[in-house]
This record gives sequence, C-alpha cells and structure tokens, in this order.
Amino acid sequence: MEPLIAIKDLIVSLPPGADRAHAVDGVSLSILPNEILCIVGESGSGKSLTAHAIMRLLPRGVTASSGEILFEGTDVLRLSPSAMRKLRGAGVAMIFQDPMAALNPVVTIGKQITEQIRAHRAVSEKDALEQASSLLAEMGLKEPKALLKSFPHQLSGGQRQRVMIAMALSLSPKLLIADEPTTALDVTTQAQILKLIKRIQAERQMSVLFITHDFGVVADMADRVAVMRHGRVVEEGSVSDVLGDPKHSYTRALIAAVPRGESMLQPVAQDAPLLSVKDLAKNFRRGGFFSGASAVKAVDRVSLTLSRGETLGIVGESGSGKSTLARCVIRLLDPDAGEMLFDGADIAHMGERQLRPLRRRIQMVFQDPFSSLNPRQTVGEIVIAGPRAYGEDMKEARSRAADILRLVGLNPETMHRFPHEFSGGQRQRIGLARALMLKPDILIADEPVSALDVTVQAQVLKLLDDVRQQMNLAMLFITHDMRVAAQVCHRVMVMRHGQVVESGPTREVFAAPSSEYTRSLLAAIPGRGKLASV
Amino acid sequence: MKDFLRVFFSRPIPLVGLVIFAVIVALALLAPLLFGRGPFIIVGMPLLPPGAPGLLAGSDVLGRDMAVGLAYGARISLLVGITSTLCAVGIGVLLGAVAGYYGGWLDDLLMRVTEFFQIIPSFVLLMVLVAFLQPSLSSTVIGIALVTWPQVARVVRGEFLSLRGREFVQAARTLGMRDARIIFTQVLPNALPPIIVVGSMMVGSAILTESALSFLGLGDPNLLSWGSMIGGSRSAMWVAWWTTVLPGLAIMITVLALNFIGDGLNDALNPRRRR
Repeated sequence: MEPLIAIKDLIVSLPPGADRAHAVDGVSLSILPNEILCIVGESGSGKSLTAHAIMRLLPRGVTASSGEILFEGTDVLRLSPSAMRKLRGAGVAMIFQDPMAALNPVVTIGKQITEQIRAHRAVSEKDALEQASSLLAEMGLKEPKALLKSFPHQLSGGQRQRVMIAMALSLSPKLLIADEPTTALDVTTQAQILKLIKRIQAERQMSVLFITHDFGVVADMADRVAVMRHGRVVEEGSVSDVLGDPKHSYTRALIAAVPRGESMLQPVAQDAPLLSVKDLAKNFRRGGFFSGASAVKAVDRVSLTLSRGETLGIVGESGSGKSTLARCVIRLLDPDAGEMLFDGADIAHMGERQLRPLRRRIQMVFQDPFSSLNPRQTVGEIVIAGPRAYGEDMKEARSRAADILRLVGLNPETMHRFPHEFSGGQRQRIGLARALMLKPDILIADEPVSALDVTVQAQVLKLLDDVRQQMNLAMLFITHDMRVAAQVCHRVMVMRHGQVVESGPTREVFAAPSSEYTRSLLAAIPGRGKLASV
Repeated sequence: MKDFLRVFFSRPIPLVGLVIFAVIVALALLAPLLFGRGPFIIVGMPLLPPGAPGLLAGSDVLGRDMAVGLAYGARISLLVGITSTLCAVGIGVLLGAVAGYYGGWLDDLLMRVTEFFQIIPSFVLLMVLVAFLQPSLSSTVIGIALVTWPQVARVVRGEFLSLRGREFVQAARTLGMRDARIIFTQVLPNALPPIIVVGSMMVGSAILTESALSFLGLGDPNLLSWGSMIGGSRSAMWVAWWTTVLPGLAIMITVLALNFIGDGLNDALNPRRRR
C-alpha cells in the first residue's frame, strides 16, 4: 500500500551554539492510510520536532535542513506558504499537550471552531456552527450547543482536549498528529481521550501520528511503533513485535521503566503514629461581592495516620482535594476544622510563631520542577536557604549540602549553577535535597514525578524510596497515577470530591478494590496487562 | 560578578550608554575645574552663536556662557533625576511588595492609596506641592518622588502577586523562612527586571519633569538646570536656536543613555543570559 506520508532522511538542524548540531538526525518513517504510528522517546529525542517538521511549525532558528517529507507524493518542505496553509488543517491537523495554551482564552469555543472551518471552506456562519456542534457531539461532549457559547477557562482539561480534537477534525484531515495529548491530564481522563482518538481513527479511517514518552500508552494505541533516541530511530516495527520482542536495549529500558501497577511493598508495622489527622476540613469560598459566595468543600472530614518509615499514597484526580489536603498538613493553607496531631501537638490551628520551629520537621517536594526552584539563585543557595533561615553556620550548611547533593545523585560541584541548567529529573533531585537539608521527619511529595518522562520517573521514585529508608522518613505521596502509587506506597487512600473513598494496604486495594471509583482508576492505567515483563 | 560584567558588556548598546553617561557625569563633576567660573557670570554679548571666540556653545539671552551652563545644569538635572527616582523606587517597592505579597485587605488599602495618587493629574499635584514647600532642590526631589512612586508600586505589586503563588515561594515558607526574608531574598530578585526598566525610564522622566518645573519657574532660583536654561531662553527660541536646542539635546542624550544602561542591566541580571 502507498504510504500517506513518507519521511526520508530528515535532518532538523538546531541553531549554532546549541548543545548538538542536529535535533533530528536522518529519520525515515512512513505512515500508511488508516494506521496509528506511535513515536516514543524521552524528551530531547527529537520526536516532537519530527512531528512539527511535518506541519512546518519548527521553532525559530530550527530548520529542516535536508531530507524530504512526502505527503501523498508532494514534498511538504518545498511547498509555497499558501499551499502549506491549505495543507494545514485540511490535510494534516495537530493537537498539542496543553490545550489551555492552544486555545484562545478570550474567544468562545464556537467561534474558534467555525473560524477554522470558514477559513478553508465557503460556508455560512450558521452552517459552520451546525457542523461544530455535531463535531462536539461526536467527541462525546454533552450539550454541544451550550458548549459552543462557553470560553476555554470554563471547561475542564479533558473537555478542552476534546474541543482541540474537534477543531483538528473539523476539516476532515487525512493525518492527525497528536503531540503528547494526554501528558497534562489525569490518568482517568487520559484513558477517555485515548479511547476517543482510537474510536475516531477507526470511524474516519484516517492516519494518526501519536507522540508519547509512555510505553503504556503505546501498548493501548499503536499499530506500529518507532522508538527514537538522540534524533535517530533506534527500533521500528509492529506494536506486537516491539512489545513482545524488543530488539534494542534502549527499547527494553523504556518498557521496563513503565510501572506495572503491581504493588511490591509490604505494609510496615504500625507503631505509634507520628502524624494523626482527624476530621480535617477545608472550604474554599467562590464568588464574591456581587455574585454571592458559595463554599466548595475541598477537603471534607478526612482522617489519616502516618508512621515513621512508611509511605502513604493519596490518590485522586485533579479536583479531588488531595493537593489541598497536603497543603493543609504542611500548613501552607489553614484548615477550617479538625485536628492534626504531630508529635503530640495539634498543628492544625497553631499560630505562625509557634509553628516555625516545627516547620523544618515537615518538608515537601513540589510538582513542577520548573517553578519550584528560584530561578535567580544557584543550586547551592537554594539548598542552604533552609538551614540558613534557622541560623545554621554557613560553612557547616555548605558542607552538609555537598553530602545531601551526593545522596540525591547530584555532583556537589554543580552547586554554583542555576536551576535552568538542569533537566526536569535533576531539578526534582535539587528540590528533594532542599527538603532533606532540614532533616525532616515527614516528607510530603506532591505529584513529584507527574511532569517527568517515564524513565526519569522510575529513577526519581527509586530515589524517594531509598531516601525514605535511609532517613526513616514518614512520607505522604500525592499522585493521580495508580501505577506510581503502587511502586512506592505501603498504604493508599483514594480521594474523590474531598472525601476518602477507600483506604488500606496498597496490595489489598489493588487486588480487591472495594469501590467502583477505585476500580475505574485501576482500569484507566494505560497498557495494563499488555506489557510483558522484560 | 564576572558573569554580570561579561553579559553587560557583551552587546554594544549598554556600553554606549555607559560611556555617554560617564562623560556627562564627568562633565558635571569637573565643571568648576574645566571652566573656572560659575554659570551665572556674564561673559559677553547676549546670543552669540556657538563657535564665537571663547564660547564653544555660544551665549544665552543674558550673555552667559552656554557651555558652562550645560555643565553645571547637568549636576542639577542628574542629581534630581537619580535621587528622586531612588526615593520613588524605594517607596514603590516597599508598598508594592507588601500589597502583592500579603494581598487581602492590606492590598486593597494600599492600592486605593496608590490610586488616589494616580487619579490626580500628577503634574498639577507636583506644582502645588513644590509651590507649597517653596521651590528648592529638595522640594523638587520630594515632589517628583511623591508623584512617581505609584507606577513602581503597581509594577511591583503585579510581579509579587504572580510570584507569590509560584512553588519556590511556597517552598520557602515550608522551610520556615520569615516573611521579610522571603520578600527580599526570594521574590524581589525575581521582580527586578521590570523594576530596573521602570527605574531607568523614571530617571529620564524625572529629568524631564524637573526641566518642566524649572521651565515654569518653579525650580530652585539659585541653581541652573537644563530645564531652567530652556525656560529662560524661550523668548529667543526663534532667533538663537542654540539657547534651547542644546539643553534639549543634553536632556535627550542623557535619557537615552540611561535607557541603554537599563537595557543592559536587565540582561545582565537574568541568569539565563549568563551562559
């Protein structure tokens, strides 16, 4: 069969002064009609730039310097700007990782979809709206007519991504490029979006180029897989071949890094709990002066206990209140009711002055490796800031910092560097080092790996578990991903709408979930049961 | 520090700005040595064109040496520009930081005060203030600082509002840092670029404002500034262009040089540009 698109010896050059000359280094790939090709690789592998080269949407300074991209026989790289405009949308359409950034925040959904239709086709506004509403219905969105009148910020992440897909499909493209479309989403929403893309691909008989770093997603989606590393394709083949019998060691490493969602940890013996939270509640008031205030119960009478040396996982989707709970425990937020006994003292309603000496004993690793480190301080300054705030001697703090950096797997000689010179995984290590400098008793990890590639995730999770053992920490681990929870948590607590749905030892919860909701979370794990152990 | 200087001088623009500014400052400081006479001394016929014997920049309506006037005028203009900006930035950063970091009723209160200063036509307020305090150098500086701090406060508050929600600020709180320490060591360094840009532009506009005040005769009557030179010469504008154009050019070049320097500072303070 004639391929729909054939990439031949594509080289994408980076601007002079970059760390390497070519981001994509001689890639040849083809996609047949009615086929899903997954390109899988870590960040920096060139997978995204390959996809962007097809749309000729490379960042400034980055150019496709040689090779061909043949779309139905014509070379995309040599098309005139006007022919390229016709191809975009009608021939090839693209969806992105962050639907909020890809949608215009001040224009209604309806306007944005019809604008695209009418830019390519001579149809009336009314007909275009009609078309838009049936597209939204096809995406499984309820009340499409009302949705057309709403603005992007009024929708949830999953709804926004569905709208993006509807926009991409509005001109019936032959190829849909999906660049990590579910990375920013919860696991359950991810499962729905993946199912949607798969269904639409089958119904419309189109081709899909799917970019991901997660072999679990590959197992669910792909007909064929191409594994990329350092700008080259290291392995390519049908999904069953690559998953069943990976040839390249890198492919095996990527597959092995995917957490299986099987719990390996035995619950630890419960001695007297270090932290015991009882009936904790936190409300947020919405609305204001004119609209009349209404309270949202973000955390609704939650109780938990945490002992030394154990990890308690708190699992839930976004909006479940899990992050609010963590921020109450560390007192970045003030709880409205309930008590939190830490070492015998109730810290739920303690004043800032009394709290300060206790603060160092509860530390946190944050979700976003990019915003959690002060961009204007060096790693050394960041790491010693905590001890310095408690009046520790500069020299001593510096020498301890070197030890801690070594402990988290960083070279102490990088202390004078700034955060932007590090990768996401390294930044999370810096964040962990900052927390450990205060010798905490409790470590709260708030989605510490959700912004990281699967391979880096595995390393950071292992590090967290090692550190917990070495320092005999009690760890509160917040995540939306059941597979991640399975790897590091002794016990899990599933939250929904601010309430605890289910809790117990991880093994038991995974083997026999008692609630429907937990079952749906488990079912949403991508590639579940399809990944053989390698 | 080495990185800082390297980035600052890596482009020609900040260097040009710095050189021009240094020349102006040198002229201002060395004026007594260079000329050996004060700016108010009458040296010859009025309105002699530049290049007349002994008069590099001509003479003004009263027959005073324009070159001496320009050099002495630089002292007053720079002094007013820089000190009033420092005062305004000081007030603005403090109030803006407190309002943005704490939010809530404190923010509302401080912002209403800021708005109070912003809704009154600032030049009219300035004239009233200076007239009320008696025209003098210090009243000019105080007056300009009082009408310009709100723009700094606004910028700083906005920056603090967005920065305080960032995770590294929350991390600083969990590390047990005190608020003052968080504000000055964590948040403020990240809010610097807009403050520097606004600040360097404010020096320029303070020089212009001082000129406008002097032009209207509200400057210190015992001191000569670029603005008072233009103001005093306006009757001769059509017959002796140099009496107004030269001090005007001096203002323009100084303001331009300051903006160039601000531009360079902005790059050099950004760690991303250092490597």
